[in-house]
Amino acid sequence: MNCRVACLLASALFFCSCEEKKEITVTETRAATTRDMAPKLFATSDERFRDAKPSPVIGDAPADWLALPPSQFRLLNYRFGESGMGEVWVSLAQGSVLDNVNRWLKQFGAAAVDSAALAKLPSVSLAGSNGFFVTAEGDYAGGMGAPAKPGFGLAGVVASVRGQILTVKMVGPRTEVLAAKPLLEAYVKSLRMAE
Amino acid sequence: MESSESPIYQKAPKSLAGKIFDLLSGFGLATITLLLLGLLTWFATLEQIDNGLYPTLTKYFSWKSPFLLPEIHGKTVPLPLPGGYWVCAVLLVNLILGGVIRIRKGWKHAGNLISHFGIIFMLVGGGIAHHFSERGNMAVGQGDSSNAAEDYFEYVVEVSEVIGDKMGLIQVIRGNEIDDLKDAKSRVFRLPNMPFDLEITGYQENAVPVSANERAPDRQQFIADGYFLMEKPKLEKAEEAERFTAACYARIINRDGTKSAPFILAGASFHPFSYRLGDRVFTVDMRKRLWVMPFTLKLDKFTAAFHPGTPRPSKFVSEVTRSENGGDAKVTIQMNEPMRYEGLTFFQASYGPPGAGPGDKMYSVFEVVKNPADKWPEYSLWIVAFGMAVTFLIKLVSFLTAGSRKNRHV
Repeated sequence: MNCRVACLLASALFFCSCEEKKEITVTETRAATTRDMAPKLFATSDERFRDAKPSPVIGDAPADWLALPPSQFRLLNYRFGESGMGEVWVSLAQGSVLDNVNRWLKQFGAAAVDSAALAKLPSVSLAGSNGFFVTAEGDYAGGMGAPAKPGFGLAGVVASVRGQILTVKMVGPRTEVLAAKPLLEAYVKSLRMAE
Repeated sequence: MESSESPIYQKAPKSLAGKIFDLLSGFGLATITLLLLGLLTWFATLEQIDNGLYPTLTKYFSWKSPFLLPEIHGKTVPLPLPGGYWVCAVLLVNLILGGVIRIRKGWKHAGNLISHFGIIFMLVGGGIAHHFSERGNMAVGQGDSSNAAEDYFEYVVEVSEVIGDKMGLIQVIRGNEIDDLKDAKSRVFRLPNMPFDLEITGYQENAVPVSANERAPDRQQFIADGYFLMEKPKLEKAEEAERFTAACYARIINRDGTKSAPFILAGASFHPFSYRLGDRVFTVDMRKRLWVMPFTLKLDKFTAAFHPGTPRPSKFVSEVTRSENGGDAKVTIQMNEPMRYEGLTFFQASYGPPGAGPGDKMYSVFEVVKNPADKWPEYSLWIVAFGMAVTFLIKLVSFLTAGSRKNRHV
């Protein structure tokens, strides 16, 4: 009998000790090491989880554009349109304004332009500089080995801003790009360099 | 007349305990365990070629592995073997019962007894190393210094106040205090050195924060500041557990009971979470546990030599300066020549960056091991060697003495 009581008590003690702790007082500490120098404070979630740098360009995007996290080549990044295939992004690019305009045209299989033809493109203000409004349509071959997408449209602006090439590019199904063009123009006007 | 029948000597039947004692202390059991250890070592040596050293050691010699099936070149050998840890445990019991308690006593057997003690010492040392040693790594760039090693597996949560641009005293919540907080389980961590406490929930051992704008949560995960935690695919090989990135959700509980919005802590994050309280700033971060070394190690020079025409290193050498209490010591660490100091052993483990060319800044990676029984195998070998020397000497003396006695009778 005594043995049974002892077993029961031991079991009870065992299960008590297994009870989940709801609270723990932290006692372990360590000193700062060479690995703990100068933490970046108040980083945004994008900076914490993607190491994304804050965009040097800011703008007021239309309410129905879906903001996406920035990527290595996209400072600002959005999706638009019912198909979910429309994209708008803002980048800093290499080369000249003419190089970038011709690169875009080539992606749609359009003929390259020269400086004289470039000067005849519609002019638009972008972040305090004059840019060129570029449009195209056809099969869009965005590069990186992706297959061409038929029936696509392009609307975008390329400008030289403070010695850098700033581009705003909208690509998507042709009808959606045509419909969103006024929104793009308003967005381009709102873009400015962050101080 | 004397009876021609000799008296019959009858052994009393042994009790069950006696039979068990005989079995456990017998020479047969010792032979079987030694054969099994030989087999295990042979299979483990073959298997580590394909599966890597660490997972193979875990499979063959961890206490969590009572039985195993060997694999050679990815094919399972249908020969179930007991785990090495448990074979060693049986051998230890066998040696204590047979080699110490049951062995014939007397000065003639002193050498055997000493040798058995040596082997027992080695087995106990192995157990201590298995249960109490810690392993981590320290990567140091050429010309840089480090005073911290990083654990291979354990993720901890650290809370610290930032004073100026430096971290103050860091409070550490250990991995074993948070790794059971799966799903909705939560726990409050009281932080006596901070003006707030921390609540942690939703721990995942291998997950990454994913932007909800990029991808919709597939299991209705909680979204904190536009991100949710997505479980990473299971890894096939155990050694890849080193690449796990743990993550959890947390929130601050102020002393007045108010709580902050939930936020994500992730081993895969680049920066800590920051929290401002009045004019004080704090950081909360999840990272692999750091051990603070009692000295600073500076990598003065790193040299790698390769087998001709191959990327296989023949030698890599780290020349370091160990600084402590204002004193410096120059040390060379290379393959098979670790630095042992203050209970820590620094092994030359690897280097980088991969494919580095001439002029690239190199870094050296040391495996840091804190093993309370680090030198025990060496000591045990000395004890065994001494025991065997005593045995041989006693045998020699006995032989010579017996020989001289025999000669006197001739």
